[in-house]
Amino acid sequence: MATQFTPSDEAGKDQLVEWYRTMRTIREFEERLHTEFATGDIPGFVHLYAGEEAVATGVMAHLDADDYIASTHRGHGHAIAKGCDVKGMMAEIYGKRAGICHGKGGSMHIADLDVGMLGANGIVGGGPPLVCGVGLSATVRGTRQVGVSFTGDGGSNQGTTLESLNLAAAMHLPVVFVIENNGYAEATSTNFSTSGIDIAKRADGFGMPGVVVDGHDFFAVYEVAGEAIARARDGGGPSLLEMKVNRYFGHFEGDQQTYRAPNEVEEIRSTKDCLMLYRRGVTAAGLVADGDLDAVDTEVRALIDEAVTEAKAAPEPQPDDLLTDVYVSY
Amino acid sequence: MVSVGVIANPASGRDIRRLVTGASVFDNAEKGSMVFRLLTGLGAVGVEKVWMMPAGEGLSGSLTRRLRGDTARRGMHLPALEFLDMRMHGDARDSTHAAGELIDRGVGAIVVLGGDGTNRVVSRACGDIPLCALSTGTNNAFPHLREATVAGIATGLVATGRVVGAPMIRRHKRFDVRVGDHADTALVDVVASADRFVGARALWRVEDLGDAFVTFANPAAVGMTAVAGHVHPVGRDDDHGLYLRLGPPSAAETVVTVAIAPGMVTSVGVSGVRRIAFGETVPMASADGCLALDGEREIERRDTDDVTVTLVPGPLTIEVDAVMSHVAANRMLRGTTVNHEGGK
Repeated sequence: MATQFTPSDEAGKDQLVEWYRTMRTIREFEERLHTEFATGDIPGFVHLYAGEEAVATGVMAHLDADDYIASTHRGHGHAIAKGCDVKGMMAEIYGKRAGICHGKGGSMHIADLDVGMLGANGIVGGGPPLVCGVGLSATVRGTRQVGVSFTGDGGSNQGTTLESLNLAAAMHLPVVFVIENNGYAEATSTNFSTSGIDIAKRADGFGMPGVVVDGHDFFAVYEVAGEAIARARDGGGPSLLEMKVNRYFGHFEGDQQTYRAPNEVEEIRSTKDCLMLYRRGVTAAGLVADGDLDAVDTEVRALIDEAVTEAKAAPEPQPDDLLTDVYVSY
Repeated sequence: MVSVGVIANPASGRDIRRLVTGASVFDNAEKGSMVFRLLTGLGAVGVEKVWMMPAGEGLSGSLTRRLRGDTARRGMHLPALEFLDMRMHGDARDSTHAAGELIDRGVGAIVVLGGDGTNRVVSRACGDIPLCALSTGTNNAFPHLREATVAGIATGLVATGRVVGAPMIRRHKRFDVRVGDHADTALVDVVASADRFVGARALWRVEDLGDAFVTFANPAAVGMTAVAGHVHPVGRDDDHGLYLRLGPPSAAETVVTVAIAPGMVTSVGVSGVRRIAFGETVPMASADGCLALDGEREIERRDTDDVTVTLVPGPLTIEVDAVMSHVAANRMLRGTTVNHEGGK
């Protein structure tokens, strides 16, 4: 999966700008939610993905619309990168009928099967079993679809995750398990709660490859995910990718983060920020001009502004809406 | 007090080569066991203290459990082990900082457990303290795969001053690499790649490769040094390195079939080979892409950057085979009894 782009390759340049747009959209979406949540207008819990954008974007760059992902409670970034409608997501988080799930799911249950997003998931470690189902279905039907689950470092210790690693390896399923290790399971340091240095090493015990990736570096994620997904698609079986990454906000909005060192986030933002590294890389390589990326920043800011304005103005669901989108007709 | 430093890289052996080649997985628990076995060798020949870079739970946990269990059971006397008190970043800065701390503590030698990359980083910072380079994987050219107990005996004999000079302690070669204002080093090879980004770092797509420089060329190794070894072998002691121009086999003067990575045998085209003498500075053909140092993409460069490669003297290394031959020839370990109570 070569990462070669030449300045004359307009397709390459356009693609580089689009990946930046995806990462910037996630960042703007999350930072705006951080501000808006403090006003008290948003119901329920919100877990923000800011800081981890390169992972979702680098992985999803290799997935087609009919490939499936299963996400986590921190799922906004995965949903945006997989192609969920940004305005529909914002309305969903505001609990409005115009939302992507008609306001019934909220932040932690955003799903859109049409774009292959099986859903954010309030169950920690809930995603891996779902993509085993994707993999089994693809295998039985003989398609070349791939399932990718996202799980955190905390979720990596759940039985569901470990059972899924076994199942996928034993049945040779076209699945990629992405572990987003952001250093904390809620408020507990991974160093304290997780045995071993690298979660990726657990893959060895199940007979599948496990790779550690710098999750701040889009191109590192892109390259490794490309190999893992191509391998799964070609019948090579499952693999596990551990993304070493950081989240910029608390476990949930309102988390005081007393478990983090002073200036920890500021230092990460100034040295490892994925958007900063990406901009520096593609401009230094002469592939994209700063001005092109500045234009994306402006466009994305306007899009998120509109999304928030429209979500706030959208109508609330009505009592009758409780009787739709359910398994039994009333 | 005779002391030895240990830098064991807990992060080695987990990169993309696990996916794209058959590179081995080296368990951190085994690295911890290796350090334990190293300690037994060091302790047997009189090393009293070992300073070690903190290595995280997987490695140091395995080591400390061994120390608690086996030491008590067997009544061994091992060097006192102390971890350096340093802030860990989880990247190359750790090994660089640890090497500086070890110099400050006056260690007589540094044992490095890791790959070519770890050794490259340590060698930049260790001055003339001899290195014992132990490989923790199948993908390395600079460090050797060998039993840590014997490496501990050899390193201990050097650290205690009982074994000195060549060929037991050897001056290895090194490349100084300049890209514009940026300076770096390589112990084994410098290779130009057409990849525009450092990305996943590892280098295995031969179709992307251009100019290559090697300090030694060994057809029995894996990677670029093996490509060069099939064209023009160069020993680690020879007073020169080698430059090769690589390219697609279809357009090359010579095609060699070589193990470019564990589990990956491929054909590489070579068009143009020449020796590089000590002190000689060779400009690299300008191109957009990356420079790989010792098998990993490290530097992104533009075609406007001036890139030069210079062959210079590198770190001192402990040659375990030569040390043990010297020890046997001089009967240094004959007629003595290992004293578990006193160390020697």
